[in-house]
Amino acid sequence: MTTTLSPATPLLAVRDLSVAVDAPEGLRTLLDSVSIEIGRGEVLGLVGESGSGKSLLCRTLVGLMPSTAIRRTAGSILLGGQEIAGANETALQAIRGARIGMIFQNPTSHLDPVMRIGDQIVEGIRFHQGLSREAAKSLALDIMGQVGFTDPPRQFSSYAHEFSGGMRQRAMIAVALACNPEILIADEPTTALDVTIQAQILHLLLDLRTRRGLSLILVTHDLGVVAQTCDRIAVMRHGRIVETGAKRQILKDPQADYTRTLIASHPSMPAKLDAGLAVAHSGEARQGAGRPLIEIDDLAVRFPAGGGLFSKRRNFSAVEGVSLQIWPGETVGIVGESGSGKSTLARAMLGLTPASSGHVSFDGASLGLQRAEALRALRTQAAMVFQDPYNSLNPRMTIGETLAEVLSVQKKIPAAQIQERVGELLDLVELDRNFAYRKPRTMSGGQCQRAGIARALAIDPRVIVADECTAALDVTIQAQIVALFRKLVATMDLTLVFIAHDLPVIRSLCRRVIVMHHGRIVEEGLSEDVFAHPREAYTAGLIDAIPDIDPDRPLSGRSTP
Amino acid sequence: MVRSRNATLYAGLTIFGVFVLMALLAPLVAPYDPIFQDAAARLKAPSLAHPFGTDNFGRDILSRVIHAVRIDLQMALIGVAFPFAIGTVVGAISGFLGGLVDAVLMRLIDVILAFPFLVLMLSIIAILGPGLGSFYIAMALVGWVSYARLIRAQILVLKNSDYAMAAESLGFSKARILFRHLLPNAVAGSIVFSMSDVVLVLLSGAAISYLGLGVQPPTAEWGVMVAEGQGFVTQAWWITLFPGLSIVVLAFGFSLLGDGLAKWLGVNG
Repeated sequence: MTTTLSPATPLLAVRDLSVAVDAPEGLRTLLDSVSIEIGRGEVLGLVGESGSGKSLLCRTLVGLMPSTAIRRTAGSILLGGQEIAGANETALQAIRGARIGMIFQNPTSHLDPVMRIGDQIVEGIRFHQGLSREAAKSLALDIMGQVGFTDPPRQFSSYAHEFSGGMRQRAMIAVALACNPEILIADEPTTALDVTIQAQILHLLLDLRTRRGLSLILVTHDLGVVAQTCDRIAVMRHGRIVETGAKRQILKDPQADYTRTLIASHPSMPAKLDAGLAVAHSGEARQGAGRPLIEIDDLAVRFPAGGGLFSKRRNFSAVEGVSLQIWPGETVGIVGESGSGKSTLARAMLGLTPASSGHVSFDGASLGLQRAEALRALRTQAAMVFQDPYNSLNPRMTIGETLAEVLSVQKKIPAAQIQERVGELLDLVELDRNFAYRKPRTMSGGQCQRAGIARALAIDPRVIVADECTAALDVTIQAQIVALFRKLVATMDLTLVFIAHDLPVIRSLCRRVIVMHHGRIVEEGLSEDVFAHPREAYTAGLIDAIPDIDPDRPLSGRSTP
Repeated sequence: MVRSRNATLYAGLTIFGVFVLMALLAPLVAPYDPIFQDAAARLKAPSLAHPFGTDNFGRDILSRVIHAVRIDLQMALIGVAFPFAIGTVVGAISGFLGGLVDAVLMRLIDVILAFPFLVLMLSIIAILGPGLGSFYIAMALVGWVSYARLIRAQILVLKNSDYAMAAESLGFSKARILFRHLLPNAVAGSIVFSMSDVVLVLLSGAAISYLGLGVQPPTAEWGVMVAEGQGFVTQAWWITLFPGLSIVVLAFGFSLLGDGLAKWLGVNG
């Protein structure tokens, strides 16, 4: 690949780009005079919360509008000095993939499930480079090796569902590379992945940049990812670029208020409240005093897996040999990668999934021996908050109806006071009282999650088990929800079990942390100890893989799996 | 927001509304008595006096078509309501409880589905004797299986949703979880399906009457009228055409209603 442009000319230059949607009430602006540039081999980080227009901007670049009602109203897009805004469909098709490639957050839905991975790569090579089938195949194998497939000839004939999330993302990168693009747009490529896999994928992208001279536009909401990978940063909000500049300059000396908020809400920043909270806790939760609220002894949860009509049934252990005590007033974090058994443990803890062996006791009553009694106690004193804020609320009921129903089933307060209590609960989670009349689909993810927390609080619980409840939210919203939990724990004499794959969130919220791997507890201890001096190599690996907002603390993790 | 643009729903509702009005006001709207036989005016082609013509007994087709709305609308609605109710309850319980109950109910459904629909209907009606009552019973006994399958599939998905688990963790009873939380979310697809099922019921009702097992002459019913006019198709096409068209229009109205409801309720497919 030869560079015909002088280094001064950017490879891609967007100037004053505006995009609007035809709404019934008139034209509504979605992107407002956006200007960005990217040079050859440069990595540009595009940061902002969801709805800020990041993805729309990327789609506009290649002329893939999400709806026909959305169109460009002003501005130009220069690719290698040539105007591509307003180009016709044929011209755009030659640009898409061949010059600007894209990869997305969710590889599962962007890979063809019934086509072999290798064939999907070959298709791109043949269409854009016009090679013969044999030549294309050998090039495809080469690309698969480059993106870190361990055994390309064998994996060539595998389907997407046979791979893990990380390998699927590699496959999607391979498909994008097959067209040999000059610019790769990566739209939240690691958001759905565990930290260790995320680190591998980011390394891979940087690697490709150096080896192929690829320019990267990395769309993300995580400033940590940006700090570790990008050369320049553009911060977007409400369809505008609020700030753009070199990475170090923006991270060290942000000019816009919004950028400052973003940096401050990054979980790797030390939370100011932490010290005070830890002290308060060590006072309340003195181990050995009284009895543990939840006691788990050698718990195993197994699910039947595989096996069919003719083969023997085998069991898959989600949780194996877990013993654990949770004391009243504690905040305990459970971390681990996806598939480590965190959620199963949470469900078993609340008697929602039966234990295959071992014991779970709640407040002294064993779920195995005194089942009815233990369940009664659990159902009135323990509540759960879920990952997906929309899926965890009944879509046909208003928030007020949802809360009122819990209150009337639990019968802890007289019926006449229910309406008043609903209002109080909304106050507690800092939602306006009008939300009582709204249904989940009219609310944002963060608002739904607050409603979910209000529902948990409605039973006036002693324990709340929060299962990945910030994983689906934007950073700024995530920080708000964590702050809400911190407030609730501090003011309400609540025991909190907080499950997450996101270590920084746990570090900033929980006093004690439990690390799970393959269904077992590999390490546990006070958060500050575990994070500062992890005993196990697995824990150390997890901690090192967190993208730190400080660009001088490089990311660990190799680029090959 | 989307409601204002749901033209399909309104078109369906309009057609349905017109038929309901016709049924309610039949004696006022119809120009003649539907069973009055005018020997002097037999097999008259459509004219100003008889816009749809007359049949071989000299009865006014327009009046008969209008009066038949009462029977056919009732047949369509009752013929769907019972299967819908039975199927919803059976499907919900089957999907929610699972295990042995589910296995037994699903095998029963397989057995019912193994017989051709009309054959099963006809044999039940043959046992019970001809008449509308037998038709409704046969419909209820045979028609519920599709609803049960639809609802069961929905419940199977929904019972693993987070809000079902949330409800369980909050100490809600099984009945409350099923009937207050899962069923209202599962039923939308069936409501839409029932609209297309109405069309089927209407046609099988007409078919049953045509075979002489449903509504008995001289009562006006579209299927019966088509059957009666069959012998005169070459001389007097109007006897079969107008009741036939009415079936088509009402069926079309229900289809539109189904599509409109699907959009309104947010059901895919």
